[in-house]
Amino acid sequence: MIIDTAYTITRADLVAYANASGDQNPIHQDELAAKAAGLPDVIAHGMYTMGLGARALTAWAGSEDAILEYTVRFAKPVVVPAEGGAEVRITGEIRKELEDGLVEVNLTVTCGGEKVLAPARATVRKP
Amino acid sequence: MLNAAYVGRTLPATAPHVVTSAEVAAFRAALGMSAEGPAPATFLVSHTLPASDRLVDDPDFGLDFTRVLHREQRFAHARPVVPGDALTCTVHVESIKTVAGNDVLTTRTEVAAGDETVSTVWTTLFVRGDA
Repeated sequence: MIIDTAYTITRADLVAYANASGDQNPIHQDELAAKAAGLPDVIAHGMYTMGLGARALTAWAGSEDAILEYTVRFAKPVVVPAEGGAEVRITGEIRKELEDGLVEVNLTVTCGGEKVLAPARATVRKP
Repeated sequence: MLNAAYVGRTLPATAPHVVTSAEVAAFRAALGMSAEGPAPATFLVSHTLPASDRLVDDPDFGLDFTRVLHREQRFAHARPVVPGDALTCTVHVESIKTVAGNDVLTTRTEVAAGDETVSTVWTTLFVRGDA
């Protein structure tokens, strides 16, 4: 295993991310809007969780522009309670060695033991 | 239901948007990274999402954003984004599949700086049907 880390997502992170990304869908900030959409509570932007995956990949690679290709499927939402936030655990392993110092990495991204990104795969320049 | 006649259509390229170091820093900070540094691998969603607004706003296309779940996302980067890049987005409607009354829409957005391709970005949305 090359990556084994965890990040906490808070409501304040989601507000900052909404402003930075332009995705102001209220289900990522407002409990009433989330519940009206049939969700148990506010959920993280899928792209926020995907961004944390990129953060973990580049921390391993030792270079923040090491990701050439990155693909995820959003399997389950990450529910972010108002108190304490949600912890996302990210592990990664090399799936395949490619040419030119590149590797294909498989990430396993879970919240509360359930896979939230599956699959999640990237082509990364090795450290 | 989405209008399947849109498959294969390409929207006109967006006007160039110049990337600022402040917007890169804000995106990094939101993800818990130090403000200084390159644009994260997912940064371009802040450009490709607004580029797709014209599809959401087009009544003939029939995309109700309150019924949308983000299903898949893919980035293929030809080079990193740097502040000062004047980026255009060209959105293609790649496919619409209907499964049990729900639609699955995939768009491909070519992000370019002038004639130079910077990234290709695919977005797949699940659009809940009436059932």
